[in-house]
Amino acid sequence: MALINKYLFGLALLVMLCGCSENDLLFELRTPSRSGVDFENKLTENDSLNILDYLYFYNGGGLAMGDINNDGLPDLYFSANQEQNKLYLNKGNLEFEDITQSAGVRGNSTWNTGAVMADVNGDGWLDIYVTAVVGINGFKGHNELFINNKDNTFTESAAEFGLDLATYGTTASFFDYDLDGDLDVYVLNHAVHTEESFGKVQLRYTRNEKSGDRLLRNDGNTFTDVSEEAGIYGGVNAYGLGLATSDFNRDGYPDIYVGNDFHEDDYFYLNNGDGTFTESLRKYFGHTSRFSMGNDVADINHDGLPDLISLDMSPEDEKVLKSSEGDDTYQTLEMRTQQYGYHFQYTRNMLYINQDDNPFTETALLSGIAATDWSWSALFSDFDQDGEQDLFVSNGIPKRPNDMDFIRFVSSDKIKNRANEKRLIDQSALEMMPSGAVSNYIFKGNASIGFTNKTEQWISGNPTVSGATAIGDLDGDGDLDIVTNNINQPAGLYINKTNDQARYLKIRFDYRKGNSFGIGSKVEAWNDGVLQYKELFPCRGWQASSEPIIHFGMDDILEVDSLKIIWPDNTYQVLSEVMTNQTLTISPQNSAPYSYLKPAIDPIFKKVNGNLGLNYRHQDIENNDFDYQKLIPYKVSDRGPIMMTLDSNNDSLTDVLFRGGTKAEAILFLQNKLGFTKDSSNENMPDSVDFTSPDSYSSQYFVSEDTNGDTLKFEGGYTTRYDFGNIPPSKVYYPDGKQELLEDLGMVTDAVWNDFDQDGDKDLIVVGEWMSPKFFRNNDGELIEDILTDLPLNGLWQTIIPFDIDKDGDTDYLLGNWGLNSKFTASQNAPMVMYYDDFDENGTTETVVATFKNGKYYPLMGLNELSAQMNFLRKKFTTFESFAGKTMTEIFGEEALSKATKFEVNTLASGFLRNTDNSFIFTEFPEIMQTAPIMAFECFDFNGDGKESVLAGGNYFGVIPFHGRYDSFPGALIDSETEIRSAHTVGIDLSLKSVRHLRVIRHNNQPYLLVINNNDDVDVYEIKR
Amino acid sequence: MSMYMKLKDSTTTMRILPFLFLVFLLNSCQEKQELVPVEITPEDYQNAVDHVTEIMIHDIFSPPQASRIYVYPNIAAYEIISHVDPDYKSLAGQITDFTPIPTTSDSLVNYPMAALIAHMDLSKALVFSEEKMTSYSDSLNNTWSEKNNLEFEASKEYAMKVVDHMNRWIDADNYKQTRTMSKFTVDIDDPARWQPTPPAYMDGIEPHWNKIRPLVLDSAAQFKPEPPPPFSMEKNSEFYKELEEVYEVSEEITKKGDESEEIEIAQFWDCNPYVSVTRGHLMFATKKITPGAHWMGITEIACKDTDAEFNRTVHAYTKSSIAMFDAFISCWDEKYRSNLIRPETLINQYIDENWKPILQTPPFPEYVSGHSVVSGAAATVLTEIFGDNFSFMDDTELPYGLPVRGFDSFNKAAEEAAVSRLYGGIHYRAAIDEGLTQGQMVGQWVIQNLQMKQ
Repeated sequence: MALINKYLFGLALLVMLCGCSENDLLFELRTPSRSGVDFENKLTENDSLNILDYLYFYNGGGLAMGDINNDGLPDLYFSANQEQNKLYLNKGNLEFEDITQSAGVRGNSTWNTGAVMADVNGDGWLDIYVTAVVGINGFKGHNELFINNKDNTFTESAAEFGLDLATYGTTASFFDYDLDGDLDVYVLNHAVHTEESFGKVQLRYTRNEKSGDRLLRNDGNTFTDVSEEAGIYGGVNAYGLGLATSDFNRDGYPDIYVGNDFHEDDYFYLNNGDGTFTESLRKYFGHTSRFSMGNDVADINHDGLPDLISLDMSPEDEKVLKSSEGDDTYQTLEMRTQQYGYHFQYTRNMLYINQDDNPFTETALLSGIAATDWSWSALFSDFDQDGEQDLFVSNGIPKRPNDMDFIRFVSSDKIKNRANEKRLIDQSALEMMPSGAVSNYIFKGNASIGFTNKTEQWISGNPTVSGATAIGDLDGDGDLDIVTNNINQPAGLYINKTNDQARYLKIRFDYRKGNSFGIGSKVEAWNDGVLQYKELFPCRGWQASSEPIIHFGMDDILEVDSLKIIWPDNTYQVLSEVMTNQTLTISPQNSAPYSYLKPAIDPIFKKVNGNLGLNYRHQDIENNDFDYQKLIPYKVSDRGPIMMTLDSNNDSLTDVLFRGGTKAEAILFLQNKLGFTKDSSNENMPDSVDFTSPDSYSSQYFVSEDTNGDTLKFEGGYTTRYDFGNIPPSKVYYPDGKQELLEDLGMVTDAVWNDFDQDGDKDLIVVGEWMSPKFFRNNDGELIEDILTDLPLNGLWQTIIPFDIDKDGDTDYLLGNWGLNSKFTASQNAPMVMYYDDFDENGTTETVVATFKNGKYYPLMGLNELSAQMNFLRKKFTTFESFAGKTMTEIFGEEALSKATKFEVNTLASGFLRNTDNSFIFTEFPEIMQTAPIMAFECFDFNGDGKESVLAGGNYFGVIPFHGRYDSFPGALIDSETEIRSAHTVGIDLSLKSVRHLRVIRHNNQPYLLVINNNDDVDVYEIKR
Repeated sequence: MSMYMKLKDSTTTMRILPFLFLVFLLNSCQEKQELVPVEITPEDYQNAVDHVTEIMIHDIFSPPQASRIYVYPNIAAYEIISHVDPDYKSLAGQITDFTPIPTTSDSLVNYPMAALIAHMDLSKALVFSEEKMTSYSDSLNNTWSEKNNLEFEASKEYAMKVVDHMNRWIDADNYKQTRTMSKFTVDIDDPARWQPTPPAYMDGIEPHWNKIRPLVLDSAAQFKPEPPPPFSMEKNSEFYKELEEVYEVSEEITKKGDESEEIEIAQFWDCNPYVSVTRGHLMFATKKITPGAHWMGITEIACKDTDAEFNRTVHAYTKSSIAMFDAFISCWDEKYRSNLIRPETLINQYIDENWKPILQTPPFPEYVSGHSVVSGAAATVLTEIFGDNFSFMDDTELPYGLPVRGFDSFNKAAEEAAVSRLYGGIHYRAAIDEGLTQGQMVGQWVIQNLQMKQ
């Protein structure tokens, strides 16, 4: 018996082992010996040419996938940086033949970069365009255009077409920007200019022939440079690495997004439809990736609007993360933005969700795709064909030049004796950088904006250095395969084995001469009211183009309700009841003009010009919290302004009073018939002002009172100046003058008097940071704490409002928290913790925040940040390698941690406390409410239907660049639990501003909404009912 | 050894012990080696300081921090030798809050050895990379204990007592507290105020160094220099002229080429412990010694040139490092008081946006020049010790790929170090002239107030 068990166990083990084998991956990695694709981008570094001489030495080659012989099978063209480019003809059965020599496409430039396919001469056959870097390090040649001779040979004709640019090329995208029927081209170049000093943003207005991007118009087989007249920047500081074309604003004209490396802003060119573009980044993007790399566009949330991802180089792995150079300091970012005029940029991937004509909502952290290491190509596609967009990210670098031990210690040991030599560092020193070969990433998309990491389940987790990536159906089985161009390794052929587990629909276009592949076409696939939207722009990702087809995953749908094809000329046609699991070839047929007019929204809110005279602009007085306490998780001096409404001069009109921080004077605006005027006399200023919101940080007060006759007052303690974590006691003042101290409440931010036990008197609910909502029952004028939630609900709570959100007749409480779109993470099982103590015993306290990652607690901050506050860590960890990957206990020791005061957060989600028989159950708000901290609520019958709704606003900027900028919450109108709308759909967009208060006031018997922002103007909206 | 211990413990045999012991000792020595006192040479001391310099380069200590790492171990060593050498007088009561070190009656103690052990042990505590110091001191310790373990153990025991005493005093110098004090807040609204400079745009370093306890000065502000010329971008203002001078000098010597004397001088005295280099995503640093380390090197050269014996060597190191320690406090006090903008920032803004100084601008305010103050202080003290017109060949920078330069006197060297900052494009004239004067005053004060020679 025992023997059999043992045997069975062994068998089970065997099965388990098989379960992890390569065979079970969604993608099979096809070997070069089987496929015949033996291309390898071999880099040869030596003392006269390496990353020191050319900053993009490791950016890799290009990759184009497309059917060059019109046999229905996509072929592969790889560009190599230093060696021959190669063309592989797809012979079927995943077998390929290298026809480079006979085809005449090996290329003649010294240093090749991107490679794309497009029908440049409009004859229905794909041509190949290869960009080159020319003019530095003796690099010779020019961009090459291989025109297809329709017989598996090509003729290099770049000069003839005017496309023989000899610049610092990255890649190119062919598309018809002026809708004249032929393909124009945007050539992305990169700077090699010193990035040692920021330089002024104005540099971008002066064209540099080598590094400036070019827009070239197709004038019938010759191309004309129209960059300047079209409004394309061409500066010496543009490190163009990412290029995406899409009709972002759905007006029928293709737009352009350019990702720039280093400090130069990305460019968002909106097509004006008259041959010109307007760069509009700041209007639509609150912040961007800093070291922008590849990017891609797809509608990931079924709203028919193209969303965008831009990659950066933030590592996920603790060891790499903590030994690599990360974000700027707070001060450097302030200088770069305020003094030099650059936009907000942070070192991580960014996912921008298109909100139509409003700013994009950036959700990479919420979506789970913010950190994929040294990432090059992003490509959205429905790999498992479940109807949702998945994401492939290529990844890796031969050597990590931003390894902090290399920067600070290793390199200098090697270069000590070279101070007087021109060449400071040699190949042997460069060899000492750690390898950056890592696994590529693949994510499965969900129905909304979330992704799940499927690396090692869908693709092999073997380390590679993969760059340019293309997707297409290499084996003609309907699902999409992936090909990567790798450095010093054979190209990766990832063959998709979804096969018949889910259905697909593939579409090729046979569009008009000049653009026979139908570049710029759009497809809306509708089924059961669910939309899948795609645009055909094959030049995507990174230095690459994919197979020029549209592919939809169709799950188990046999027949899709309808397909709407919108052609590049903005006519459309509809196909109904289309069978899936087929490849359609569609040509324009009975197409009719398509209207891009958007359905008119009936806005509830309308901005009032002149703000009714409420011209108050708040400015934080103190702005240096991080200078004083380097490790606090967020600022505390920036919670202003404080405001209150009152009738200060007894004229029955509501006046408004603001105060902007600890030392600021209060400013009173008096209401009159015409609006508001600032009261300069001060005679109407109330003697004592009981602010009903937190003051600045020395000791924050919140006062509220029981309005039932006898006055009970509550005063909440927030924090002690320069001693974050030292929480002053909150206080209750009884009518008889008695005072009660509440010592262990937490960092109080808001409170509300409300009869939660329905006994006719007002009870008190208090919320705050690093604490759970606290309930105090009013027992005949005595406040007694009650536990009314089953779980601890420690959050970073910002605001609370009573509201019957589930419409069951009792009062629920809406709670604003930090949201889920941040690097903070917390759950019941793995709370975020903050330790508070004088760890270095020098009389000054510090705080260390740690989060749970793969089963262990790690500090959020790295050695540089922690040791700037705690010098002893420099002695304990003399290298970054010795620190990286260390847990809190390993860094500080159990004793120090147990001695310290420990704060916790169990949830960061905003949500509401559902009232169920006088106990409360916390329910999270949906995703659209989690994109930033929620700082303000206002309850009012906004749409005049007799029912109250709640308007929520938020966003918060008081964090270091490591965290970024929480600017992505546009606000939301909450009618009920199931009816929550993004605020921009009702005429008000609160994104990019940091809202502190929302307040409805009446003026001339009309309701108006006041939006009080931090460090910004007050905005007044008319409420149209 | 074990025999000796046994005998010593046995009181009953004490009377016959001396004789027996001597016989035993002689016998054993004939078999092995003679137990003679280990000779500790001036070179041993110099090598140990050089080793500390190397570790500081690795660990990247800023110039003020480096001055602190030099001075305390030197003081410990000096106190030990002054204890037995009637030529030298203890610093107890002469430098702030410093009390006499413990004494010992153990006749086996080798004082130079104890001095060196204390020096190395304190250095180890002050640098980050302890293991680099430990491996060095362990190898010396092994040699000594092989040669004469009794002497070594006794010296070590005594050295550790002194180290304890030193540590209590060092601990109260406010260094620990200044580590956690606020970062320097840049005033971006005032065009005259310092701003971070390319390429690393680092925070201003050590904004609270004036709160470090000085050794001889009565306060950080004791030798507060004249304020710099008032900030003005008016073409005929004194300030603007000085700004223009930086630009013009730089342009002129750049035209002359890298071989020009001025560029050679600038590079020779760069003494920047961390020059960061950025090439795209590739970053690295060239690391050099600090100004303090350079003058420690000159002190070493002077000691060698004069064949200074051990105690004289320790004295010279100690006095010059005390002067430099106070010089940095004095200088840093002014830097964050006047908080003046660097020429690089202004030249890029108003004159030439592509201009880069020959030396990388270090990350702290401009006025006064740190190298000028420190060189002034060090040269003044060294002149007092070794005399004026002391000509020497300065090969301190040789390990860093820089040439040897000859000087007729310490003061000449200091003057060149000061003006090198103008050639390097990182200081205006006033910071150099006033800095040198300030340093000389600090040096004079040290000379007047410290009585080290009996």
